[in-house]
Amino acid sequence: MTFLLLFLGLLVLIAGSVPIAVALGMVALVAMFSTGGISSLPNLALVLFDGATSFPLIAIPLFILAGAIMNATGISRRLIAFASALVGFIRGGLAMVSISASLFFAEISGSAVADVAALGSILIPAMKKRGYETPFAAAVMSSSATLAVIIPPSIPMIIYGVMADASVVELFVAGIIPGIVGGLLLMFVAWLYARRHDFPVEGVFKRAQVWTTFRDAGWALLLPAIILGGIFSGWVTATEGAGLAVVAALLIGGLVYRELDLRQLREAMLEGGIQTAVVMLLVATSALLGDYLTEQQLPQRVASGIMGFTDSRWMILALLNVFFLVIGLFLHSAAAIILVVPIVMPLVRATGIDPVHFGLIVTLNLGIGQQTPPVASVLVTACSVAKADIWEVSKVNLRFVAVLVAVLLLVTYLPAIPMSLVNLLYR
Amino acid sequence: MKRIVGRFLEWTVLILITALAAVVVVGVIFRKAGAALVWYDEVASILLAWLTYYGAALAALKRAHISVPTFIERLQGRIRVGVILAAKSVVITFFVVVAWAGWRVTQALGELTLVSLPSVSAAVAQSVIPIGAALFIVAELINLRDVLATVPSNPPRTDTKASQL
Repeated sequence: MTFLLLFLGLLVLIAGSVPIAVALGMVALVAMFSTGGISSLPNLALVLFDGATSFPLIAIPLFILAGAIMNATGISRRLIAFASALVGFIRGGLAMVSISASLFFAEISGSAVADVAALGSILIPAMKKRGYETPFAAAVMSSSATLAVIIPPSIPMIIYGVMADASVVELFVAGIIPGIVGGLLLMFVAWLYARRHDFPVEGVFKRAQVWTTFRDAGWALLLPAIILGGIFSGWVTATEGAGLAVVAALLIGGLVYRELDLRQLREAMLEGGIQTAVVMLLVATSALLGDYLTEQQLPQRVASGIMGFTDSRWMILALLNVFFLVIGLFLHSAAAIILVVPIVMPLVRATGIDPVHFGLIVTLNLGIGQQTPPVASVLVTACSVAKADIWEVSKVNLRFVAVLVAVLLLVTYLPAIPMSLVNLLYR
Repeated sequence: MKRIVGRFLEWTVLILITALAAVVVVGVIFRKAGAALVWYDEVASILLAWLTYYGAALAALKRAHISVPTFIERLQGRIRVGVILAAKSVVITFFVVVAWAGWRVTQALGELTLVSLPSVSAAVAQSVIPIGAALFIVAELINLRDVLATVPSNPPRTDTKASQL
């Protein structure tokens, strides 16, 4: 009953336009006050501080910053030119470019919202100009950015790794194959749509052009290879790799491309700082509510409740998937991971599900949540860039969300798809 | 007022994010050189907390926190103003309590210092909670007028406008 009241209170606050981070904190505050009185409140400050001081989470601002710097130095433009030379000749060429550039860009920034904001601001107007319907342009950008959250590096995966005590590096590796499979499926669905609506192609395929644009984008493509190589080989941790990504982005932008001016750098850093704070405040206030729920023994109650109902691993995975899909409708992914992962982890471990496998399921699942209103930060960003109505975009986006759900089911029920690379490299 | 507070928060965020990146990079270099810095993890973690709360106040000033305006955009006139004011009061109440709790904690920490840097007081590290909360409140009050300005002054009689939102 108490938990239901908490959840209802949270929904009312969110519907009343209270920022989600504050709504989570306020619900936790009321819960703490009603059980422990005024003397429990100083604990609030301690948890809010500790919630924001986790060392692995430092990778978040650094990856965001590296992405912002690369964006300020014309990397988006170069990636788009290369992708255009590579896949632009296919029917609906710009949609193909959007999907492939999005997957490349994800290898630097780790944030789906940053991905949409950076690439969408160039590609959505370009698609509109070439006669693509606006809702389609927004939908394709939005869904490909969401798929990109499972391609390393990934901010939700970093947060999950901390909460579930799972290896962030293994999580990153687990996302590679499902990310590529999902990308190809998204391109196929976009191609079907483009053929039916007779969207244009972007010139013919020319090997010379692929080579020229590749040379121009070479450094930008090399950067993620070096950073991720360093992380995957165990030479640096994810956080240290993120720090090196910042330095490399500055060197490539400033010395190689010579496109980094101080004003742009300042804007990029501020943008990175604000995005970090938005995510980290969510992390800290979710930790507050999460602590309360754990104290009330909710994880144990959930585990024993569900185990009493079924002990089939597949059934439990199905239940967890539905649960996360519903949570994703109302919560931002960072908040959902911090609140829910500690609650379901005892159940996950008891049923013998690999925490890395489960991490990929959670990340992808909550990524889908970012495509489904009312709380859908990626979709909302795409709509605001495209100046399109969120419900119109959602209608077109249904087919792309279906692809993401198909990838989720593949990942859930064919563990070999995410886990074979992990097993090959680390176990 | 908005400009002064904005400038202060922007410079604070710029300095903190630069320091954070620098500490991590210097930490890697020293570790690889075989002379790991003992204070590196603790200082970097504290910088992250500082970036979180000073940055959160800046995000509040720029109205960048994630919220769901879909429902209140369907409301009109006084009801919408009422809901906006109620939401603002919730935010301000929360941060008033956080500021008070944070202040109590910094008082209680007394002479305690950081584990890896005995010359730095733990209360200084924790001070970001009361200060960050107070700055968040200031930011919310400053942009209250901007938020209320988004409410249409002459609501249309029919429902057509609302259905487009």
